[in-house]
Amino acid sequence: MAADSEPESEVFEITDFTTASEWERFISKVEEVLNDWKLIGNSLGKPLEKGVFTSGTWEEKSDEISFADFKFSVTHHYLVQESTDKEGKDEVLEDVIPQAMQDLLCMNNDFPPRAHCLVRWYGLREFVVIAPAANSDAVLSESKCNLLLSSVSIALGNTGCQVPLFVQIHHKWRRMYVGECQGPGVRTDFEMVHLRKVPNQYTHLSGLLDIFKSKIGCPLTPLPPVSIAIRFTYVLQDWQQYFWPQQPPDIDALVGGEVGGLEFGKLPFGACEDPISELHLATTWPHLTEGIIVDNDVYSDLDPIQAPHWSVRVRKADNPQCLLGDFVTEFFKICRRKESTDEILGRSTFEEEGREIADITHALSKLTEPAPVPIHKLSVSNMVHTAKKKIRKHRGVEESPLNNDVLNTILLFLFPDAASEKPLDGTSSTDNNNPPSESEEYNLYNQFKSAPSDSLTYKLALCLCMINLYHGGLKGVAHLWQEFVLEMRFRWENNFLIPGLASGPPDLRCCLLHQKLQMLNCCIERKKARDEGRKTNTSDNVTNTYPGDAGKAGDQLGPDNLKDTDKEKGEVGKSWDSWSDSEEEFFECLSDTEELKGNGQEGGKKGGPKEMANLKPEGRLIQHGKLTLLHNGEPLYIPVTQEPAPMTEDLLEEQSEVLAKLGTSAEGAHLRARMQSACLLSDMESFKAANPGCFLEDFVRWYSPRDYIEEETIDEKGNMVLKGELSARMKIPSNMWVEAWETAKPIPARRQRRLFDDTREAEKVLHYLAVQKPADLARHLLPCVIHAAVLKVKEEESLENISSVKKIIKQMISHSSKVLHFPNPEDKKLEEIIHQITNVEAIIARARSLKAKFGTERCEQEEEKEDLERFVSCLLEQPEVLVIGAGRGHAGRIIHKLFVNAQRLTESSDEAAAMAPAEEELKRTGSPEERRQNSVSDFPPPAGRELILRSTVPRPAPYSRALPQRMYSVLTREDFRLAGAFSSDTSFF
Amino acid sequence: MRGQLCLVKGWLSAGEGWLAGPERSRGRMDEDVLTTLKILIIGESGVGKSSLLLRFTDDTFDPELAATIGVDFKVKTISVDGNKAKLAIWDTAGQERFRTLTPSYYRGAQGVILVYDVTRRDTFVKLDNWLNELETYCTRNDIVNMLVGNKIDKENREVDRNEGLKFARKHSMLFIEASAKTCDGVQCAFEELVEKIIQTPGLWESENQNKGVKLSHREEGHGGGACGGYCSVL
Repeated sequence: MAADSEPESEVFEITDFTTASEWERFISKVEEVLNDWKLIGNSLGKPLEKGVFTSGTWEEKSDEISFADFKFSVTHHYLVQESTDKEGKDEVLEDVIPQAMQDLLCMNNDFPPRAHCLVRWYGLREFVVIAPAANSDAVLSESKCNLLLSSVSIALGNTGCQVPLFVQIHHKWRRMYVGECQGPGVRTDFEMVHLRKVPNQYTHLSGLLDIFKSKIGCPLTPLPPVSIAIRFTYVLQDWQQYFWPQQPPDIDALVGGEVGGLEFGKLPFGACEDPISELHLATTWPHLTEGIIVDNDVYSDLDPIQAPHWSVRVRKADNPQCLLGDFVTEFFKICRRKESTDEILGRSTFEEEGREIADITHALSKLTEPAPVPIHKLSVSNMVHTAKKKIRKHRGVEESPLNNDVLNTILLFLFPDAASEKPLDGTSSTDNNNPPSESEEYNLYNQFKSAPSDSLTYKLALCLCMINLYHGGLKGVAHLWQEFVLEMRFRWENNFLIPGLASGPPDLRCCLLHQKLQMLNCCIERKKARDEGRKTNTSDNVTNTYPGDAGKAGDQLGPDNLKDTDKEKGEVGKSWDSWSDSEEEFFECLSDTEELKGNGQEGGKKGGPKEMANLKPEGRLIQHGKLTLLHNGEPLYIPVTQEPAPMTEDLLEEQSEVLAKLGTSAEGAHLRARMQSACLLSDMESFKAANPGCFLEDFVRWYSPRDYIEEETIDEKGNMVLKGELSARMKIPSNMWVEAWETAKPIPARRQRRLFDDTREAEKVLHYLAVQKPADLARHLLPCVIHAAVLKVKEEESLENISSVKKIIKQMISHSSKVLHFPNPEDKKLEEIIHQITNVEAIIARARSLKAKFGTERCEQEEEKEDLERFVSCLLEQPEVLVIGAGRGHAGRIIHKLFVNAQRLTESSDEAAAMAPAEEELKRTGSPEERRQNSVSDFPPPAGRELILRSTVPRPAPYSRALPQRMYSVLTREDFRLAGAFSSDTSFF
Repeated sequence: MRGQLCLVKGWLSAGEGWLAGPERSRGRMDEDVLTTLKILIIGESGVGKSSLLLRFTDDTFDPELAATIGVDFKVKTISVDGNKAKLAIWDTAGQERFRTLTPSYYRGAQGVILVYDVTRRDTFVKLDNWLNELETYCTRNDIVNMLVGNKIDKENREVDRNEGLKFARKHSMLFIEASAKTCDGVQCAFEELVEKIIQTPGLWESENQNKGVKLSHREEGHGGGACGGYCSVL
């Protein structure tokens, strides 16, 4: 070859490739690759340990070369070994045959559970494959195959590479390989036969032995002994109906939430079909010699029960339908729907809302008018009723998506207080105030940004999920949501707190929807307090109450109101007043405010603390320690103040945006301070009302004590006197504190303008809820659903105790919390999470299926039970598991029984088939011959028969070196393969 | 100035071993800001939060700075190790009554500067309350905290540097002593904070850059040529 021209000088080396043919170039490329990968020479490793093909790591290196314009990929597969063979390499091992040839005879790794097919066929630890690079390409013609093989042969000879080199021929799916391995004076040819139909004489050992012997063509008599390894594989499929207890959820039982079926709030779990589809039993005779057993076309000694080795693998169903996975996936699909609630329900719901609601509330207030009738029972049923009516009205005869029973059950589940007998008051919400369990599990909502697992939001999410899957799908979801919004409005208008929400301002760690509901509850709470205050005030003059008062809130609904709000945000503070409400709403009812207000304003006009000192103090909370007012020594009181406005995260965002927009200039900062000084002003007014005649110094001592600096001085008489004054920053002329103080009038908090307009905020929340499309809703609640699914998976896992699943769940939680913390997580990432959940569910279902099949629970002896459990968990995690004691062990007996049962089943169906001679039936149950053979057996005919025949025989001449010979054969129902490796002496022949 | 800074780096769990700088295109580096960071300044009233901020943003000191009402806001772009970051700094009022408002501003912050006055022990003692608040209201747990002892120019020091150091170590914070008046340590404090934030993976990246842990879809992939016996046949 041109490439191998001898180096003539050390400095210049001219290599002429100009005349090289494509073929030569191809060969040199192969050689180049072999050189690059350092596969030259003999590197003997340690003898292969038992099972190392499975326990060790296989790696591969790839490169691409081309023959003319046809691309091949060259891949080096090898078992990673500790490189202790460096020293061995240095020695010149002339007589040693290549590693690959030695491995042909090694019996420690026959029938590896998972390996490259060449490994399985030839027991190799290292080899190189040249295959067409494109999957569709194939080397088909015989001359091309031969050309390739010749190239391989030349490349091996030129380089001295002792690693076997294969070329893949024919279509890829046939897995046809031919190859060669060369060593000093020796060569092994790897040949293969692949057939669809099995020649009859090759279905048994004696026929195969004949081929092997004739292939070797051994000149010696008697022939050296042939060692035989046999494995038969039996497949068990027919166990579903007997061993798979999981039923799809009984939908009928759901109606009315009856016990026994699925309840709302409980998640379904498990696979609908058996997640374990097949069991493969491999019975192995690892070491037989010719003549010990008989296996020919009339008789066989190979009884699976007697096989010395049994191993089992299970085949998992691909993507089994899993209930929890479906539950979440289907819900996630809603996120992609574009329809609005109205479009889905086929009418414009919220246009008429105002009117309808006004009607209802009007009716209710009529009810309340004569005497405070407890109307709590109306809550749910009333809404259901009206909603039903409306739906019927607008959609004619069509049925509403959710039937009454289901809807009532759900609403009762969501609002348990509606059914309780005791009148609704504050206690109902404190009842539901989550038992603050500090457990990690409970606080998961924190990580997922969902909602506590006992909250209304969480329950709502689960109900919507359930409805989506079992009751009316998207329409049902839209319907329930609409009912939910109606219920929210009902509660707002009738001062019923929403159950299942932690009290206090919105929890920013929860999802926005949860925050909105909490916000609504804050509004209800304040409105209720106000209304109750009004009730007590007016109880003596009942005539003053207006019957239409309760409807007032309803009237305020609408875009106008919202527009107002926006406008306010736009024009940035001119007067102090503009930062509190524009609406004249006060904490107390107007009637008695007026007189008192006059009082306060008067005082304001006169100004000066001295005059104000004459006023009656109002709105005191408690005395502030021992502090006294500076000018008259009266005790200093902390006033009752207005609570700051609760905020949801979107409001907060909006607000901080507005504040940030003011910029960083001095004016901007000033405006910003103004905007936020409503609270300060309100506190000052309250303070003034509680402490008539006070100074700013007094206020500062309560509000910002560090801004009142006290110093001990000695007065003229030599006494220690404590002298105090405002800090320098408070003394800056016309700073905002002073300014506010001067503006503040002595008004107690209850008569001040509200800092937080609960009416407006509540309407904003209700409007927000009303315009949420089902897709929006699903996005809001998806974190809750994922949260619930994770908890469910965790719960189910704890019953089975599968360590691998524990690890996955942990990863899943940390992954989900990362994804869900961002405002708009990508769909792809969400899908990934859901996929994970389904995956874990399937693993748990598999564990259960296996436990049921092997009856671990029924096992009485403690020791046996433990063994069995270990066996089952191994099946889940390992590709193939050895059955201890083979057919005579405990697990073995169970497997045997499984097969016997399945056989009985087939027999009976065979009989049925015989009676109805449908051709298809015949095909399914196999050829008549097979049936005849095995009708009495406990086992079906083996689905696969593998045989390995090995011998050490001199070839081709009697005086040649004795070299390893091997033939592997596999026979399945529609596939027959012989893979032979025949070595011959290339020096003495 | 750098010498004064004491980084309690060893106790910061975040960012360990994450040495690679943030990715960006070199050409646009100068005009482009890598990220916008939200930073919050908290602490008792009168410890000099606004003064520190003013010193940092405008490099001035105003002895007559009015007490903050609610929250104030300033912006500054700084460059740390060649990374430009725009800081949106929220300065909060320290008064008890205003405190009910500020927790909402903790949301989404990547860094918090907790200030005390070295001449007033009570402001140091109250730090625990502030940390509690932080823990309660912060929406994320990998936020970077920095402790700043202010007013070291004053004579009547009440809190020793070592006490501050100990506190910071205990709570895995950055620590520095500073003076808004003399400018000591101020610039440095902000720079270190930003550097730390940028070094903390997942803290500052926008959501689409979020490089979370990728879970593999299947735990057992059937690799290219490997086949389980004649699994394809059966």
